[in-house]
Amino acid sequence: MKKQVKGNLNDLRQGAHNTWEELETSALTVRIGTPTCGRAAGSLDTLQTFRERIAKEGAEAHLIEVGCMGLCFAEPLVMINNPESGLPPILYGPITYEHVQRLVEGFVLGDDPCLELALGTVEFKEDGTPYIPEMPRFEIEERLILRNCGYIDPLNIEHYLARGGYLTLQQVLQTEPEKVVSEVEQARLRGRGGAGFPTATKWKLCRQMEKEPKYIICNADEGDPGAFMDRVVLESDPHSVIEGMVIAAHAIGASRGFVYTRAEYPLVMERLKVALAQAREIGVLGDAILGSGFNFDIELVGGAGAFACGEETAMIASIEGQRGMPRPRPPYPAVYGLFGEPTVVDNVKTFALVQRILEQGGEWFSRIGTPNSTGTAVFALAGRVEQIGLVEVPMGTTLREVIYDVGGGIPEGRQFKAVQIGGPAGGCLSESSLDLPVDYDSLKEAGAIMGSGGMVVLDESNCMVETARFFVDFLARECCGKCTMGRLGVKQMLLILADFVKGEGDEEDLDLLEKLAEDIGQGCLCHLGGSAANPVLTTLRYFRDEYEAHVKEKRCPALVCKELITYYVVPEKCERACDHCVLTCPTEAIVTDERTRLKKVLQDKCVKCGTCLDVCPPEYSAVIKVSPPEKVKELEEAAGG
Amino acid sequence: MAEPVTEKATVELTIDGKRVRAEQGEKILWAALAEGIAIPHLCAIKEAEPPLGTCRLCLVEVEGQGVVASCVESVREGMVVHTDGERAVALRRRAMELLLADHPLECKDCPKKGKCDFLQLSIAMKVKRPKNYRPFPREELPVDASHPRIIFDPNKCIRCGRCVWVCKERVGEVPFDFIQKGYEMRLTTFMDKPLGESDCTGCGECVEVCPVAALCFKEGG
Amino acid sequence: MEELQELLKTYPANRHSLLRILQAAQRQMGYLPGEALREVASYVGVSPAEVYGVATFYNQFRFIPYGTHHTVVCLGTACHAMGGQLILDAFERELDIKAGEITPDHEWSLDRVGCIGCCTKAPVVVMNDAINAKMTPFKVEEVLAGLGLQLKRSTDSEGEEAGEREPQ
Repeated sequence: MKKQVKGNLNDLRQGAHNTWEELETSALTVRIGTPTCGRAAGSLDTLQTFRERIAKEGAEAHLIEVGCMGLCFAEPLVMINNPESGLPPILYGPITYEHVQRLVEGFVLGDDPCLELALGTVEFKEDGTPYIPEMPRFEIEERLILRNCGYIDPLNIEHYLARGGYLTLQQVLQTEPEKVVSEVEQARLRGRGGAGFPTATKWKLCRQMEKEPKYIICNADEGDPGAFMDRVVLESDPHSVIEGMVIAAHAIGASRGFVYTRAEYPLVMERLKVALAQAREIGVLGDAILGSGFNFDIELVGGAGAFACGEETAMIASIEGQRGMPRPRPPYPAVYGLFGEPTVVDNVKTFALVQRILEQGGEWFSRIGTPNSTGTAVFALAGRVEQIGLVEVPMGTTLREVIYDVGGGIPEGRQFKAVQIGGPAGGCLSESSLDLPVDYDSLKEAGAIMGSGGMVVLDESNCMVETARFFVDFLARECCGKCTMGRLGVKQMLLILADFVKGEGDEEDLDLLEKLAEDIGQGCLCHLGGSAANPVLTTLRYFRDEYEAHVKEKRCPALVCKELITYYVVPEKCERACDHCVLTCPTEAIVTDERTRLKKVLQDKCVKCGTCLDVCPPEYSAVIKVSPPEKVKELEEAAGG
Repeated sequence: MAEPVTEKATVELTIDGKRVRAEQGEKILWAALAEGIAIPHLCAIKEAEPPLGTCRLCLVEVEGQGVVASCVESVREGMVVHTDGERAVALRRRAMELLLADHPLECKDCPKKGKCDFLQLSIAMKVKRPKNYRPFPREELPVDASHPRIIFDPNKCIRCGRCVWVCKERVGEVPFDFIQKGYEMRLTTFMDKPLGESDCTGCGECVEVCPVAALCFKEGG
Repeated sequence: MEELQELLKTYPANRHSLLRILQAAQRQMGYLPGEALREVASYVGVSPAEVYGVATFYNQFRFIPYGTHHTVVCLGTACHAMGGQLILDAFERELDIKAGEITPDHEWSLDRVGCIGCCTKAPVVVMNDAINAKMTPFKVEEVLAGLGLQLKRSTDSEGEEAGEREPQ
């Protein structure tokens, strides 16, 4: 095996840097985001159309496939840099294949920047992080982890090298491992996987163990529904995570590493495979890394679809080929981990930050964020919010800023109701919590957890009882089943909640549910099962009135719970001749009165799918939902009388 | 794992006001039992390392630490343990209630009648099958009597994991294991095939450790 | 099974390879039949019961084959908030099977998944490996009809419906 020595890496980087500079300053480039979510929006069609148009026109343009810039609401995203135009790079979105012709004619072949399709111009911070001055969110955001995401080609290691990649590793290999640990300690970095345990403490413990070999595991088993931060980082900038892992391995003296990622993320697997091979080729991974005496390699492990494997001891069991069930801690993995050896398990974003910390210094990092929660937090903002996407803000930013200033608020003029943070086992916070600073301790106090970064916004059209039922249902399916509290306690909560959404149950059941949740929270074998209490306890704490409406009045205030609503066509609003609802109803539950042409919903046939409401033209909006169901009789009588 | 040391270091701790000496690394549960202090437990096996920790019936309170599973937590010098702390007792009762609510009430005709650890423990803990719980939806599974010595009744299983542990430890190739996960997790043979068709030697180690009537010897077997 | 034997040889015969072997075997066969599980068990040296226990723990593994058209409905948080359950209901209604099942003619199979990380396109459905974004119950019908499924309401009662609706 050929081994590249250190000098070569410098040469490589210089070469990559020169190519990059040329690309940036004198070439016409078209960047197209093709991460999984971009593909779902049709970015591969956009890419293909660009390729065809450019070939057809014989234009000299470089097409670059990049990852995700976090502006998922505007996908597919296209960034064009046309140096000849004298304009800065311009970001466009959403650009489907229909828009490509216009862009090619306008800004690839000509100097018309097609501003009607643009989101804004792209400027760069001192450290090369791109931002869009026209978008207010970038005033709040601070992108440490997402610095390269959506700007470099993740499959081209030269892009990473050109932006200073693996330079930090070169320097770190010259320093004592203790120094690396103390730098992370000075940064006061806390694990980005959710629990917020101090990273350096874990590393120290593992480092002190007089046992060989030691292992490093990168937890990329992003099983939280509603979270996609780790996927984006690995799809968009895999080398930053690999570099962080090698640095960590040097710090604790590990010889082997694993990236454990989800089976549902085929693109992550694909891109990581390429990135790992590239890293080995240039000698930053493998035997005698960069000519030093340090050996470390990384193996890619594909999970097989089990949420519980996000828990570190379960993940270890899974890598060992066992059922992914957590085991009691202590002993902690740092002492007794993979194959019984000392093991450090950290989240994707933690490793990405380790790279930044060693590059810029722990002191620098500790000044970002709040004293107890340093650095930045990445959130996957989804649900009922305008600008869905990835967000990276300094710790301590308020939820209001994240949801309204970065996320653009709630669409269609609807009312904010709740924000669900920290995955299914996190909590639902209400409007009263909007001014809460986002940091580990504040969120915990409010009953939620930082989690790994899922943030789902719910509005008045979401029912909190149904939301709690949904999370508990997920956890009852996905918890490992090993202990009594997790297997039976969570299921019992689910059975009670399933009654509530049907309007069954009484106030005593509310108490039982609350007590069950408290007991499960405290009595479960692992913290994952224990946190199953959070969705129940927080919804009970902040939205008790909704529970009471279901139980006492058999009414769903958000008009969501199927058993508690009926559909009704308001005669005064119905256009009568349009028949959209009648024709699209999958069960023929809507009939037209022969004489009046008025529509009536046959309740015994209606499956409450909501199609009629969707298809009723907005100028009429004649289809409504009512709750409790009996109310429809009153309405019908009133209309008939 | 750990090499036996000739002279094990001991620590002193307090359990329910009583000063107790125990070997370093010993779990609270075994230290307490050795002193005649009762703590409910079902899944615990002294030799199991790491411990199973599945039943949650042995929870106790440790000052400065809160509720812990006594089969998992090791003794420490100066540790103060309360087995009768209010929260610990409530949580133990909750775990017992959940297990009872998920267990068929057929004690009259049960082969373990009169010698069921689970029933005796529930009586000792004064916990009855709770009335306000929603019934756990379970499909009744067929009882497997295909094996010459052992009867396997999956409906009775409380998923403590003792049988699987003991079989893996002492026999190696288990004829049964837990399948699926979450609420659906259950003990069964390979693809629900009859136990009699498996490689089970019928040594009976699993029957010995089963606290309920999920695994029983055939009469006269 | 011969192909499986060949496949097994490319992996180290130890416990640590179990998940990867099961994944590869499923890729090869589309699902994991009992005999395959037995082969894998004897190769890695654990009992078939234990391999079955491991395989059933993970959602990825299937013990029945896929249909010609395989649909996975995402029910992650974002998809759920955007009406994912209604989408699953629509598929179950039209295909007349529940999630995890396959139609008797083996044409259609249906599954649910916790989250595929495409939360910004919620609710999403993966059909034959392609992601369908922002689904509605009506779109479900369109997609299924596009793949050749006879929709319930057009087959069941087209005639009587016409009679009912347009009484002249």
